[in-house]
Amino acid sequence: MPIRFSSSRRLTGRLLVLALGCVAVLSGCSKPAASTEHAAAAATSAAPASRHVASALGDLASFRHISAEVSSLVDRGNLPAAKTRIRDLEIAWDSAEAGLKPRAPADWHQLDKAIDRALETLRADTPVQQASHAAMQNLLKTFDMLQGQA
Amino acid sequence: METVSATDWRHCLNKVPEATLSFWIIKILSTTVGETGADFLAVNAGWGQNVTRGVMGALLALALFLQLRGKRLAPWAYWLTVVLVSIVGTQITDLLTDGWGISLYVSTAVFAVLLIAIFAVWYRIEGTLSINAVNTRRREWFYWSAILCTFALGTAAGDLATEALNLGFVLGVAIFGILIGLAWLAWRLRCHAVLTFWIAYILSRPFGASLGDLLTQAREYGGLGMGAMWTSGLFLASIVLLVAMQQRDFATSNAFEAVE
Repeated sequence: MPIRFSSSRRLTGRLLVLALGCVAVLSGCSKPAASTEHAAAAATSAAPASRHVASALGDLASFRHISAEVSSLVDRGNLPAAKTRIRDLEIAWDSAEAGLKPRAPADWHQLDKAIDRALETLRADTPVQQASHAAMQNLLKTFDMLQGQA
Repeated sequence: METVSATDWRHCLNKVPEATLSFWIIKILSTTVGETGADFLAVNAGWGQNVTRGVMGALLALALFLQLRGKRLAPWAYWLTVVLVSIVGTQITDLLTDGWGISLYVSTAVFAVLLIAIFAVWYRIEGTLSINAVNTRRREWFYWSAILCTFALGTAAGDLATEALNLGFVLGVAIFGILIGLAWLAWRLRCHAVLTFWIAYILSRPFGASLGDLLTQAREYGGLGMGAMWTSGLFLASIVLLVAMQQRDFATSNAFEAVE
């Protein structure tokens, strides 16, 4: 009985080492991908240029960039395309939550609410252009306000 | 001789696994997988929160049915239930916070009081809170209610730490890890075993979440940048391996009993 227990325990220990090895390899592998991503984000943030100051949440340029695209799709009356594109914003925003939120929870919630409202209006059964336009303007304004205050 | 066989009998009827090293590893990993899994279905797969909630609630009911129906511990059913309780517990807190706008201070306090109430009733009726004697249907209900409550409480308290203390996941891993270490030390020093178990159980929820974030989050946020897919895959594979080991150990010990 004790022998079986300790062998299983040793095996658990070995698996733990193996798992840590996997983490090391995977995080090492992701390095080039992460840095190109970062470079891309830096490039897009460099384009609209100097008036962009990083907010307390850090660099929000990549999120604002998608939002601006959605907004121009809405203004051109292409609501289905806007609905498709805003999904990218939702996924990017959602996956960055753990990284962004602790930096400035109140700011994060403000943006999160604005994004939620935009998602809601674009995903309504019959989306209305005027309401979508207002929601997107509000979202862009929220971005600019947060980036202006830092 | 009589007493020994009586405790053996009771012990083998215990329907929850012993708190070994692999127990804690699986528990922490399933916390992370539960959260990323539910998030993946709601956002990336586009199910939305309501559908995901409904599906997970139904799956939990099914897993709980399987777990309660069995006469003995079946590790796979036990851990399936834990993963689903982890998801549903998180969803309850998220619904309260994001859906109904209830403050995290309130939900943390309410879940803490609720958990204490569950323990109080459990102790009052059964005269024990021992996790080594979860051997009747009623004790199983107490056990699983307490587990669900610890996940909801762990989520609320962990989110509160993020919001109120600006506690990021790097510090989160360190702080919750140290607190779990202290609980372990208290247990080694023979402090109340049942109490230290449940404290560690609550703490391992925010610890698992921070650990998951540390692996998944991009490097620019201080994470290791492994991404949600690789992390979940690695964790899920580890869970399956460890549960398979428990299942094997368990089958062997049953075989021993049969021989005796």
